[in-house]
Amino acid sequence: MRIFYTDVLVVGGGLAGLRAAVGARRRGHDVTILSLVPPKRSHSAAAQGGMQASLANTTKGAGDNEDVHFEDTVRGSDWGCDQVVARMFAHTAPKAVRELAAWGVPWNRVTAGTREVVMDGKHVTLEEPALAHGLITARDFGGTKKWRTCYVSDGTGHAMLYAVSDRAIAEGIPVHERKEAIALIHDGGRCHGAIVRDLVSGDLTAYLARATCIATGGFGRLYRSTTNAVINEGMGAAIALETGAATLANMEAVQFHPTAIFPAGILVTEGCRGDGGVLRDAAGHRFMPDYEPEKKELASRDVVSRRMEQHLRAGHGATSPFGQHLWLDITLLGTAHIDGKLREVKEICRNFLGIDPARDWIAVRPAQHYSMGGIRTDATGAARGLVGLYACGEAACWDLHGFNRLGGNSVAETVVAGMIVGEHIADLCESSDGDLTFSTALAAEFLSREEARLGALLHGGGAESPVALMTRMQTLMTDNVGIFRRGDLLQDAVTELRALSVRARNLHVGTQRRGANPELVTAYRLQRMLKLSLCVTEGALARTESRGAHFREDYPRRDDATWLQRTLATWPDPEQATPTLAYEPLDVMSMELPPGWRGYGARDAIEHPDTERRAREVAALREARPAADRHALQAALLPFLHLLPPRLRGPNARAGGDA
Amino acid sequence: MSAPTPRRLTIHILRSAPGDDATPHFEAFRIDESEGMTLFIALNEIRANLDPSLQFDFVCRAGICGSCGMLINGRPGLACSTLTHDLGTEFTLAPLPVFAVIGDLSVDTGRWMRAMSERLETWIHATTDADLDAVEPRMEPALAEAIYEADRCIECGCCIAACGTAQMRPDFVGAVGLNKIARFRLDPRDEREDADHYALVGNDDGVFGCMTLLGCHDVCPKGLSLRSQIAYLRRGMAAQGLR
Amino acid sequence: MDSSVEAHRAGGAWPARLDVAQSATGLCLAAFLMLHMAFVSSILISERAFYTVARFFEGQYLLGTSHPAIVSGVAAVVLLLFVVHAALAMRKLPHDQHQLGAYRRHAARFGHADTSLWGWQAATGFALFFLGTIHLYGMLTRPALIGPFESADRVWSGRMWPLYLVLLFVVEVHGGLGLYRLALKWDWPRGVDRTRLRRLKTAFSVFFITLGLVSLGAYVRIGIAHADHAGERWTPALSTAGR
Repeated sequence: MRIFYTDVLVVGGGLAGLRAAVGARRRGHDVTILSLVPPKRSHSAAAQGGMQASLANTTKGAGDNEDVHFEDTVRGSDWGCDQVVARMFAHTAPKAVRELAAWGVPWNRVTAGTREVVMDGKHVTLEEPALAHGLITARDFGGTKKWRTCYVSDGTGHAMLYAVSDRAIAEGIPVHERKEAIALIHDGGRCHGAIVRDLVSGDLTAYLARATCIATGGFGRLYRSTTNAVINEGMGAAIALETGAATLANMEAVQFHPTAIFPAGILVTEGCRGDGGVLRDAAGHRFMPDYEPEKKELASRDVVSRRMEQHLRAGHGATSPFGQHLWLDITLLGTAHIDGKLREVKEICRNFLGIDPARDWIAVRPAQHYSMGGIRTDATGAARGLVGLYACGEAACWDLHGFNRLGGNSVAETVVAGMIVGEHIADLCESSDGDLTFSTALAAEFLSREEARLGALLHGGGAESPVALMTRMQTLMTDNVGIFRRGDLLQDAVTELRALSVRARNLHVGTQRRGANPELVTAYRLQRMLKLSLCVTEGALARTESRGAHFREDYPRRDDATWLQRTLATWPDPEQATPTLAYEPLDVMSMELPPGWRGYGARDAIEHPDTERRAREVAALREARPAADRHALQAALLPFLHLLPPRLRGPNARAGGDA
Repeated sequence: MSAPTPRRLTIHILRSAPGDDATPHFEAFRIDESEGMTLFIALNEIRANLDPSLQFDFVCRAGICGSCGMLINGRPGLACSTLTHDLGTEFTLAPLPVFAVIGDLSVDTGRWMRAMSERLETWIHATTDADLDAVEPRMEPALAEAIYEADRCIECGCCIAACGTAQMRPDFVGAVGLNKIARFRLDPRDEREDADHYALVGNDDGVFGCMTLLGCHDVCPKGLSLRSQIAYLRRGMAAQGLR
Repeated sequence: MDSSVEAHRAGGAWPARLDVAQSATGLCLAAFLMLHMAFVSSILISERAFYTVARFFEGQYLLGTSHPAIVSGVAAVVLLLFVVHAALAMRKLPHDQHQLGAYRRHAARFGHADTSLWGWQAATGFALFFLGTIHLYGMLTRPALIGPFESADRVWSGRMWPLYLVLLFVVEVHGGLGLYRLALKWDWPRGVDRTRLRRLKTAFSVFFITLGLVSLGAYVRIGIAHADHAGERWTPALSTAGR
């Protein structure tokens, strides 16, 4: 029996996993990272536009602070997020940007003096103060009141990933590449590590750890049309679900990005619109102002994607051999800006569309982009249901994003959560709960169980093609569980997903090789992906309201009275055909920002009975302490500093003072 | 209106599976070309319909992550951003040389790059940790952009596969390594000095081993100016060595 | 890390010195090559012109009398540069069959001009070990025998013309390539356009090969005419034209 011991096992070598690993390593613990691919290949690298942090260095960022970032985030989430977590996040984001700066990220900087920008389709001259010269600059992104998105051209994720990955190398953290965690080892109450398959040799090894942290990113590949990398198959969430003890949350909260190039589905950054790009229809008409007069192209992603699909349905789409699409026009930004700040976009347009975006419009259509849901954790990143299991980044439902994530908040979440969760993992390792009390019998049991599962796939003699079932599942998800959802379509999807799950027990794997075997990998991942698809679809079917990215045509209103709840999905019995759903209410009476209108999108929510009471309470508290500074006021409304590691609790300095 | 007849592509792929006894050999696959077909689409189609055992690596399929470097008609490039349209009806695909082959078109660039990073210490060396609560130190905007120019490297390995020196001498750090040092030399946050850089690349496995064949510069999928980065480093290291 | 840096600093200047020396010797040799060709081709003006140039290099006009030892001295210096350059450049050549095979496979597969050109650079360099040495040894040991008849007799009656013919091509190709590579290696002139530089390189080789061929033809012609009197030295009174 192969056994490998480590203090901390991090599953996933993207930004979140790497940053959490560095945190635990710096506290003196042995850390091992598992990664499907070399860590610098992780999907984090594909984040283009930037990372939100309220540095307030620029003219258009003046007056920004944690409060504004917090409120933007909560509004963006359509009040679905955990406000304590949003507070922790908004507070830590500036520290994360500054830490990354120290680690080498070449953030674009403020140049003092005047500069030409494009806003709302018009050229505008901005003046940057001399005081800010050389500080980290920011661009505009959707759903934000201030220009808050720090960036490195449009390769922000790449620059961040390389800096953090190189930091992990500097800390001497080993990364076991081309390894996949295929099961968590647990006893129903405590997680002890994972069974890991070597994707080259096919060998299984039991990795035993005091703490296991899942940072495997999202599950975009449940969908046919997605901006996600091919490795984003949600395996971290799936193996957590398969424990029967851990819980997934808000799986139906799936984000669709407005500007994926059509038909390849490759992302072009929200920065295109943030920097002044506009959306046009077949007639060349800029249609977003018709739907969203206030935020136009820069409403939150869920709103813009929905408006785009709505406009397509109204027959305004441009026609191509692959179907209907709309246009993203960034020609008005000029060659110099595109060559400097949107160069990945330029390369993508050239390579995949054969066009020059400085001269031609870009064919776009919304595509699946982000999973707000994931492994349910508490504010420290500890997974619900299993001691010693943690999750962070897109794999987790830490619940920063609720039902819609703001652009620029995902790469920010990866490093911020990594900074916070890494410390909490170290705390666990240093506590008595961190002791590894472990029986080799348990490891042997899990190893042989997984050996048997793989053996059954290889030699089971089934008839179904894994690739065909996978393709059908992805098509079904895109067609039936997409931007516009409806009860009957969702019910159809559930029915067919169940049927696919049954068929997926009878797979044919032709390649009998035990080691590197892409067919076998597809086969075992398919079975897990079907479970995740069922979590998404069942959750969407049950949620009879519209909130953020989850939009039900048959229930178009946000219903706080009934649905201010987080969906919880578990799979306690491996034999059950669908997940067990449960709900966790969000407490309006402890919200710092009680539910209201987002400032964009529909304005027809059904109010929660507590909303008005809480709103009065908050207003009264503010009135009662007119002289109190914003920090004191905030602490009275929603204390959160105690949940942060001590080293992250300090106030954030700003060049222009505290706004 | 009927669609034009698609081209029939014949793709010769160098097959191998280390551990198996069979020697590497080309195998031909025939598929119909579709509009806008990239090698990512073509290879997945071959795997889905013709040979499920075919090994290759893709991650982002958008030219960003650097996973899919391979020899396309003998020339290193990213498969995901190569359109079949730009190739003939018959072409070859082979794994990148220099790197250990995992199987078929899949090579282990990860281990090579990690070893390079450890050897050249490709990270910011600072004696003190940053104060995370304080306003960040300033940097000239132009300098930040110059650093990013070199920082855009995606470690795909194409430069190594295109390097005559790297074919002959396995310890040569190649353009990817030299470009890293050029990048950290520019960065004032890295406290290392030229003496330190010289200790890392001031030898024939480093910058003085480069024979300026410029295969790296010509194939770099990100269009990095490797020629000038390496020349800049060479001048600096020569000056350091002669000091 | 500091100690290792110190260690490198203490013994580590050599790689920089050697690299600079390789470039510098190459540059000097290329400069010499151009001067040498100018000198040799003066025969195209007239025998007297060549005679005058030869005497000039023997110091006749500065010192009043001819000192062929000066030519020996120059030849010795050039030979030294030549040997040093060869020794330094040899480090870059394939060391064994394995490396040679790796390079050749790579160049054949890649089809990349600058990579293939290096093969020519290496091959011509290798040939120069022999061709160049023979010529330089002759100049070193018999410096006085430079003159319109003396040189022509060496070319024709001394049966040196086949060697000179080959040497001419080899050395001018090598020199052109070497200068081209040098400009790219050190990026001087800064950011120079490679296509233009490559044209310049070709022009260099073509020009000097043409000049060399014409000059060699002149020597052959004189050599044939003077074959019966081979060994006779040229004096201004004895020009073929005056015969």
